[in-house]
Amino acid sequence: MSLHLFVLSPSDTPIYSLTHHSTKPVTNVPSPLASNLPAWSTSAFAGTLTALSGASSVPHHTTGGTVRMGGGQDRHVIQMIANASLDVVEDVMRKENTMYLKSVDKFNEWTISAFITPGNTKFVLLHESKNDDGIKSFFMDVWELYVKTMLNPFHTAHTIIRSGVFDARVRQSAKKYL
Amino acid sequence: MDTHVFASLAHVKILLVPVGSISQPTFDKYVTEIRNFESIRLGDIPVDSKDERARFMPNPLSTGHLHLSFPTCPPPTSHIPLSLLRPSHFPLAVIGIASCAPEDTLPSVLAQFHGTLLDLFPADFIFPLARSCFVFEEGDGHNSTNLGDGLPGLAVIPSMMGNKKIYLGTLIADLCSNVLGEFGVLVQALESPLGNEYLNSSLLPILPPLSELPTPLIGNRIRDPLPPLSSHNSVPDMSKSGFTLASSPTMKRTSSAGHRQSTLTIPASKKRLSSIGAVSSPGRLFKVLGDFFTLAGRTEDACIWYTESLQLFRATPDPVWQASALEGLATISILDSWSAGHGLQTSTSATTRDPWGDVADKLTQATAMYYKTPVADMDHHSLVAYLYCCCVLRHSSLLFSVWSAKGWGPLAFTTMLQPGTTPYLPPTISHEDRTSWSHLERLSSISGISRISIASVIAQAHGPWLLHLDARERIGVLEAVAAFYSCLGFRRKEAYILREVLGCILDLIVCGRDEDGIARASYSPDEGTQTSATNAALSPVPNDAQVGVRVNESTEGNHSILKLLAYLCKVLGIELDAVRFIDVDSTSASTCGNGLDDDCQLREPFGWPELQIGVVREAVAVAEALPDYLAVAQFALSSLKTLQDVLELGDQYHFYTTSARALLTARRRGDTRSMEYWTGNPISGISLVPLPLIRLPNEKPMSALRPRSSEVNPILTGGKNPFLYNPRQAAFGQPSQTMVVQNEVLEFVIELQNPYCFDLELDSLSLSTTGVPFESTPTRVLIPAESNYRVVVSGKATQSGTLTIRGCIVQAFSGVPREFIVPLATDEELERQTRRRGALQCEMGRSKYSGLDAFPWEKAQKRESKQLARSPSKLIPRFLECKVVPEQPLLRIRRTSVTHGALMLYDGERSTIRLTVENVSSLPVDFLRLVFDDSTIAPAQQVLAEGSLSTFDTYETEYNLIHRPLFSWNEDESRAIAPGGKLTLIVKCLGKVGCTSGTIHATYACIERNSETPLEVFHTRQLSYPLMVTVYHMLDCQAMDILPLSLHDDDSRPGKSQLPMSDISSWCLFSIEVRNSYGTPFEVTIERVQKDATSAKTSSIIAPGSTSRLVIPLRKFLLTQQHISETIPTLSDRQFVLTESKLSDGEERIQKELFWYREELFKSLQCRWQEMGGIRSGDMSLRQQRMTMSMLNTLRTETARIDMSLLTFDESEVLHRNGKYHPQANEFVHLRIKIKNQYASPLMLSLDLVMEPSEHVIYEGVLNDIPVGRLKSGASFDITISLCFLAYGRFTIWATANTFGGKSRERIQGSAQLTAVVMER
Repeated sequence: MSLHLFVLSPSDTPIYSLTHHSTKPVTNVPSPLASNLPAWSTSAFAGTLTALSGASSVPHHTTGGTVRMGGGQDRHVIQMIANASLDVVEDVMRKENTMYLKSVDKFNEWTISAFITPGNTKFVLLHESKNDDGIKSFFMDVWELYVKTMLNPFHTAHTIIRSGVFDARVRQSAKKYL
Repeated sequence: MDTHVFASLAHVKILLVPVGSISQPTFDKYVTEIRNFESIRLGDIPVDSKDERARFMPNPLSTGHLHLSFPTCPPPTSHIPLSLLRPSHFPLAVIGIASCAPEDTLPSVLAQFHGTLLDLFPADFIFPLARSCFVFEEGDGHNSTNLGDGLPGLAVIPSMMGNKKIYLGTLIADLCSNVLGEFGVLVQALESPLGNEYLNSSLLPILPPLSELPTPLIGNRIRDPLPPLSSHNSVPDMSKSGFTLASSPTMKRTSSAGHRQSTLTIPASKKRLSSIGAVSSPGRLFKVLGDFFTLAGRTEDACIWYTESLQLFRATPDPVWQASALEGLATISILDSWSAGHGLQTSTSATTRDPWGDVADKLTQATAMYYKTPVADMDHHSLVAYLYCCCVLRHSSLLFSVWSAKGWGPLAFTTMLQPGTTPYLPPTISHEDRTSWSHLERLSSISGISRISIASVIAQAHGPWLLHLDARERIGVLEAVAAFYSCLGFRRKEAYILREVLGCILDLIVCGRDEDGIARASYSPDEGTQTSATNAALSPVPNDAQVGVRVNESTEGNHSILKLLAYLCKVLGIELDAVRFIDVDSTSASTCGNGLDDDCQLREPFGWPELQIGVVREAVAVAEALPDYLAVAQFALSSLKTLQDVLELGDQYHFYTTSARALLTARRRGDTRSMEYWTGNPISGISLVPLPLIRLPNEKPMSALRPRSSEVNPILTGGKNPFLYNPRQAAFGQPSQTMVVQNEVLEFVIELQNPYCFDLELDSLSLSTTGVPFESTPTRVLIPAESNYRVVVSGKATQSGTLTIRGCIVQAFSGVPREFIVPLATDEELERQTRRRGALQCEMGRSKYSGLDAFPWEKAQKRESKQLARSPSKLIPRFLECKVVPEQPLLRIRRTSVTHGALMLYDGERSTIRLTVENVSSLPVDFLRLVFDDSTIAPAQQVLAEGSLSTFDTYETEYNLIHRPLFSWNEDESRAIAPGGKLTLIVKCLGKVGCTSGTIHATYACIERNSETPLEVFHTRQLSYPLMVTVYHMLDCQAMDILPLSLHDDDSRPGKSQLPMSDISSWCLFSIEVRNSYGTPFEVTIERVQKDATSAKTSSIIAPGSTSRLVIPLRKFLLTQQHISETIPTLSDRQFVLTESKLSDGEERIQKELFWYREELFKSLQCRWQEMGGIRSGDMSLRQQRMTMSMLNTLRTETARIDMSLLTFDESEVLHRNGKYHPQANEFVHLRIKIKNQYASPLMLSLDLVMEPSEHVIYEGVLNDIPVGRLKSGASFDITISLCFLAYGRFTIWATANTFGGKSRERIQGSAQLTAVVMER
């Protein structure tokens, strides 16, 4: 099971992203509807469609064994989902004043949790299983690290975070909580 | 296209098909007319009460409605398995619409109609249940003879008919009545055991044609005596036979007390069914009944049957059917509410918190059931997935309708039942409202449904199962989902779905094309992609076509796809129309923009770069696939423009080449539109290449030509300004007004920049100028990738005046030219830019709006920054300006007498250079001046300017500058040079030691012009001829001396003859040593030029390395007191020279005296040298030599002249030889002293005598202060003193004449000496 973290600046630009492979098992059971997907046409547009609809994450059985269709598009799709979830995140953000938005949106197999800093930087996490407390702790950790990074006077809200230390610590925290 | 209406389960679908040769608009017109019948009151439906057909007929006075919908497109045949599960999905009736053309006969129309139906539906399909063909009469109805009901299933609507609507209503009601009757027949077949087995045979059963079913004899027999009333009641009757008691469980139920009784009766029904021996549960049958009653508008009956079937399903799970029944129940409650809203039923509810909660729960349940349905059959995947999606959309539609209708009320019900023409845009929301958060949130707070909850329901519809659906259904579902998101204001989610929609559509296009491509194998691949289009009307192509055949493209629909694409990109923060089309024909003028203000570097990042790139790539691919070449170019260029910071190199290159290719293709296809210029400002600067010095004109006022009164020679001061460094000179000069000449080629350097990773090709680059006309040809430029590049553009100004260079006009490949303004980098301009950049930088990290409110292109309108506004935008930019002066002549040096530009001179040598100039212009040169410069001038000027020299040295330096220039020229030689003429100039040279280079500047102009108005100014040009100069120093002068001249009779030295024999004491000797330090011998001649003496010369040949002394007698002279008391003149009139105040008056006087005598001395001597065996000759300067006081005393004629002589006692001369007297010892002799005043004024004198050795001389009287008295000018006075030499030997007598007063040295006015040798005789 993998999780995807995006740190987004107020203009929706990712300033940090992380893909974490968790050891915890996925609890979601796919619908029988999602099985036995038809062999799809090979045009590039169909590939986009396949990826976007979420079919690529469903194991597809062929004679050669389990293949993931359109795997190359996966990252792009995950970004699309994260971006689309901002609609809901922004909406909730306006109505509630909590920083941690628990399971704020769901799309395909992904659940989206978010964390909003006072400076309107958003941490968006795509995950598949439920782990509220872990995610909350993880977000708090990331926030602290983020604030420490922002203390750098040369760092603006739009600067991409390239710090190796930040990355390492976020990974460490992800390993711990997720 | 299918729309997912909430109440679609209750809609009787009537398919409208065109019959015969009806035109599209006519068909559309009648379709619109028919579609007005959204519902029909049950009371309006004619009742056919025959046997089983009467079962679904409405009661005569019933108040319900039959809801109709009129699709024009039948469902695909792959949906046939749904026919029993969801009859409402299929057209239950068909109306053929024909317009009656004169040549058509009605039977043929009818035949066509039946033919069409056979095409649409398989022959053994149970639907449609009824059919009818409406023939609309066109024109004046002359074929009315054919009217009549002779043909069944054909209705003719005459054009003359007054109230067409009522007639149509009747016809439709008849049709509906037929449908309801057929329901009865169908149900009867299903009720048979065989029918029930069919029904339960599989998950999605298909009923074979009714004719194949055995006629249920019993049913027929039993039902025959049924009183019509019972079926009108629709309540299953007790009196019905046991077999058909499938419809009986609710028999005693009334509408008000149904629930309780149903629980009681169900076991009975079960028992009864099993007793019949039917294997399958009748749950599905009850559900079908429920469906039919729903369609028939009899909601109470439907509700009962649904409930029954659910009861049965609880025992034997059948998820799909159960879910379908739940959906039906949900629909019924909305139908009821709608009727209640119409006041037709006295009903309840509407007071609870969430009146729709019950409905929503049912739908949630249904959704979950569909979701979990295990699907065994491969074919059913698609259908179950479709049912699932429909159910989710139904749920969403419920919530959405309530939300958009501001709560549970009639508006919501109407929306759900009869959505009208715009099903996805509810009346409460306009296009603008979608972006207004407060408006949407207001709807939420009124209705009590949050947008998020709707969105989460919608999101369930999206999943991998979408791939199971057929393309058409998939597009329909996605479209509905996108529309919901859009209305909810979730634009990013909408964009996500729209991408899928696009993917679907494009996939269909591409796949369709592939099939075409197979059919047309002869097409070359690239040609193939270009020829087919969305709905390409493809004509058959001969297989052996060697000729490129272009099939007419239909571009219908392309526009919508592109619009969708642009919208989707906009949501992601990409402006696909950042570069616009411009019709070349309409606008040839370039758009103007101050390019400096869009600072690309300071653009704030917006959006998700990776996504943006992906979407843009896709957009380009979509446009290529359509194909719409201009759109390809537009998308590619827009993304290059706006996403340049984040695009990878490969993408940049790909986009650029794609756009170039697309533009070429578009142009080949005859598209007149073109792209506007798309890159940022490529111009970083423009500068004028300075004219070569030879062409540079200088402006001079005409007054400069008038002769000036005596002025200081400018060569001494080196210009007017005493300060060497003047910082203001540059600022106050004319920095921007460069002078250029009319009709001569100007060159401008344009600095271009290319931030992209590919070579940027500019089709044309030219200067944008105002002012005088400027001729230049645009150039084609290729700017290398990621670099700055310089281009030289040349042109000519054809008139005189001011030429202003505003900027550049740039035209990109296949684009429209655009002007970029390049203001001059003045201080104000730079400050303005700095301020602007500073303000932008200050704003960089701050974001007031976030997310979709922060689109970069909206930012400008949303927030007018105070800081940015304050920046002085009113500043009028200044531009590079050139002053174009009239045509000027041009000279060039044709030849010179100097070889290799080098000049070799001896020190002091005089020679000449010949310089031939040629006029190569068409104008005459009538003014020519030569000015010279050499390497000694500047240091000398600097030394002079420092002012630290003594007056004496100052004079020497100045003398050198003025009287001994390296070059000199006779101004009279200048004369006019006609066009093409030549003139030889002779320049004199003088060797000066230390000179290394020199330059001859010829300034020339054409002053006499044929102009009406007298000109204030004229322009000169300069021709320079630099020379390397080498001056050899070969003769050293040293040890100049001036000695008194004494003459002896026995002198036999050479040169004696030159000496004057008389008046020897008024002469002196000038001597100087000359050393030859060079390698060749020189002859040095010194010539005396004195006014009161004959000229004489002395010469000597000086061998290399040797020194020779040259001696020449000089006549002494005396300068007047007035002359020598003048101050040492300064040749320049510099006012800041301070007098040397350190010297006392006496010293100063002596200095002046020395100065003036030295000057006089040099005037009277001319020193020359001549190279032995050569022709070179020149002057030798003595100015290095110093004059001492003793030299001065010798040179100067004494004021009081003293002559002394010795006389014997008898007044005869004492023997004297060789200047010496030989008196006798111990004899008295007379010493006669004669004093003569040679001065111009009288003198008071006394005389002092000194004799040595004085102890051996006796004398008479005193020796000191012998009074002489006052002597007039020219008068003389004699003194005689007797004396006697007492010993042999040599005696010397000195006499000095003194004036009175003053110091002893200054008193001496004259002196003399006498030597006497006393010998033994």
